[in-house]
Amino acid sequence: MTDNEAREVVGDYKAGWHDPENSTIRFDAGLSEQVVRDISELKNEPEWMTEMRVKAFKHFDERPMPTWGNMSMLEEIDFESICYYLRSSKATENDWEDVPEDIRNTFDRLGIPDAEQKWLSGVTAQYESEAVYHSIREDLEKQGVIFLDMDSGLREHEELVKKWFCSVVPYSDNKFSALNTAVWSGGSFIYVPKGVHVELPVQAYFRINAKNMGQFERTLIIADEGSSIHYVEGCTAPTYSTDSLHSAVVELVALPGAHIRYSTVQNWSANVYNLVTKRGIAHEKAKIEWVDGNIGSKLTMKYPSVILKGEGSHAEVISVAYSGSGQHQDAGAKIHHLASNTTSKILSKSISKDGGRGSYRGQVTVSPKAENCKLNVVCDALILDENSRSDTYPTMEVANPTARCEHEASVSKVSDNQLFYLMSRGHSEEEALALIVNGFFEPFTRELPMEYAVELNKLMALEMEGSIG
Amino acid sequence: MKSEELYLSLCEPDNSNHLWRYSPWRKVHPTGKVREIPTNYSHPEIEISLLDGSKVPDSLSIDKEDSPDKKNNFSDPVSMSFIESISRDSKFIFKAKKGTILEQPVVLKINTGSANSAINLSLEIGRHCEFELITLIVGKPDWFGLLRKGKIGEGSVINDVVVGQMKRGTLLRVDAINIGKDSQVKAGSISSGSDRTKADLRYMMDENGSNLRVLGSILSADKMHIDHHIEIYHYAPETYSRLDWHSACGGKSKTIGTGMLRVSNGSKGADAGQIFHNLLLSDKAEADSIPELEVSEHDVVGCGHGTANGPIDEEQMFYLEARGFSPDDAKDTLIAAFLNTTLSEMGSDKLHQWLAENLQGELRTLTT
Repeated sequence: MTDNEAREVVGDYKAGWHDPENSTIRFDAGLSEQVVRDISELKNEPEWMTEMRVKAFKHFDERPMPTWGNMSMLEEIDFESICYYLRSSKATENDWEDVPEDIRNTFDRLGIPDAEQKWLSGVTAQYESEAVYHSIREDLEKQGVIFLDMDSGLREHEELVKKWFCSVVPYSDNKFSALNTAVWSGGSFIYVPKGVHVELPVQAYFRINAKNMGQFERTLIIADEGSSIHYVEGCTAPTYSTDSLHSAVVELVALPGAHIRYSTVQNWSANVYNLVTKRGIAHEKAKIEWVDGNIGSKLTMKYPSVILKGEGSHAEVISVAYSGSGQHQDAGAKIHHLASNTTSKILSKSISKDGGRGSYRGQVTVSPKAENCKLNVVCDALILDENSRSDTYPTMEVANPTARCEHEASVSKVSDNQLFYLMSRGHSEEEALALIVNGFFEPFTRELPMEYAVELNKLMALEMEGSIG
Repeated sequence: MKSEELYLSLCEPDNSNHLWRYSPWRKVHPTGKVREIPTNYSHPEIEISLLDGSKVPDSLSIDKEDSPDKKNNFSDPVSMSFIESISRDSKFIFKAKKGTILEQPVVLKINTGSANSAINLSLEIGRHCEFELITLIVGKPDWFGLLRKGKIGEGSVINDVVVGQMKRGTLLRVDAINIGKDSQVKAGSISSGSDRTKADLRYMMDENGSNLRVLGSILSADKMHIDHHIEIYHYAPETYSRLDWHSACGGKSKTIGTGMLRVSNGSKGADAGQIFHNLLLSDKAEADSIPELEVSEHDVVGCGHGTANGPIDEEQMFYLEARGFSPDDAKDTLIAAFLNTTLSEMGSDKLHQWLAENLQGELRTLTT
């Protein structure tokens, strides 16, 4: 595909370049039990993990595709054309200079090492199937904070991983969690000891470089009693004419009084299927927040969830989605109130443009034993032109009479009054629209670290170019 | 294709389809054997009169119908073809001639008796009619099916209320109504009977300027399972709809309200909204709401939805008890007021008075 052709497909996608593929190990395309066993053997994993992978593969194989959502797009996924494991570096490096030069250049262009020096507690950079770089600040390490790529986590802290792996998202949860469990590689493993507050965010950056690649990272974060952590992840991929698959699983465990915030700015190219399962369990008085931005991908199906298991726990999901030409952002949130005095809040914002489709799909449940729960769900959508579409599919199941639940949603166009107001103060129509869109997303961007917020605003301004007329 | 053939050609609906998510078809089907189409169903009694008991004018009629079933493209084929198949001998057409204007509401009483039965009722309401229609369902069957489909003519002003007061059994109700150009329709549903109710109510607004309000007052108690699915299609410019649904659930009952607003590309100036309110009256009751939106037109006045669930307000209880109400009376009054919010919007004062008296009786029976 030439640069011009690529531009036609994805517009001005900034991260759409690709480097020549220099893989040290590349599995043939296609999935079988042998592939699953080979991945496990290559990683020299304990037997219980191999067996879990195999069970998950069997479940994936038997389980039909979902019968809801964008079934026509899902049916287009050719699981046999995907490469399930590709390694481009020999090891995970702790020194940036030791990372292979071509990969280093990729992340340099994305600004990763620069960001680490300025405002991060730790970084993991994943290229294809494996983490290529990893670092954590010394003072945190001394306090007992574990921040590793998932493979190292399994090697160095097997008991901890064995205890929590698949405890929040069982492999049988859905077809794609089964796929991830079968072929997972990379991702982050974090343990924050009791009472430790990680002040600056830790970051993981995921990059798919090769064609027809599947990236299946697995992330597990355990925040012990009274601790806190903010994890930020970003994702990009090159622009190809064939599709790639990103199917991650993220499990969060917030033990009593802990606080986990998980922020994502997903900017995959428009040929990536992004089918992700994210779920957290909040124990007594714990707090879990998902801050979720979806800008890229062809089809995203992602519904960050929280199980409010402990009394007094709290969940928040703030998500934004931008759907451009050929994109379907099917995102949302799920919150299950299992304990009394639990509270939750969902704020979802979406913009559809150039024939894009944005869907909010959410589920909130209050169990019979959960007294005095409060929850609030707000979904706002903007449709910018006549070819685009916005859907809202919220589900609310309340089985306790003391619960107070509210949900509201609205779909609208950009107000002519707002445009006129800004244009009468000297902005062009395009600038005015970009300002309105940034204002629409503001409840999301203000929750992000400053650098991400600036980046997101720039991305949105880029996406808005040419949207007038 | 005949209805029987159509029904048998269809697969059992998947529960990922919201229509059947909370009430799977096999639980709604009279025998639970979904490949079975029961035969020899009895004929329910149908009476038509004005609310004061007098005869309806000649411009209104209800007659048996023999013509083939008309198909539409917005109904659920499973439930519609099933009722058509079992109601071969209970097929009626309700006609209102052009320009029929009535002061008194019309009461169409369907008495199912104690045997299983079904009715296939076509509505043909002419242009510029103005009247109110109450469809009252009573009886003690194990199973009853009501299919209503048809069109409300251009420029008509119709208040159409269906009251479900079966003492037991399962009620399957399917509505598929086209709303004509510039017509104003209020479609009310009151449900306080039957052990299980499954209603699939669909309204097609494919002509300019139509105005629709869909209102529900639902009261459930004991182990009732009351499931209403409402779909409103905005397929023409300048169409307006509001769905306002109030459910009060007590005992071990469960109420479900699923709504779908579809605004197609080209429906400029559409204005659509839906709200579900649930009042939970006991620890074992459950209320589920799924208000869905699919909007493919950007030039809309607004499309929105909301849901709110909560218990009886303690301050309101305190207020009434401080003024001499017993706790039970205060509770009944607040439930009645909650349901009356939508009941009072369903039509004229005459209609409202009749509905309120009727519901008050039901409330007493169900909450004591």
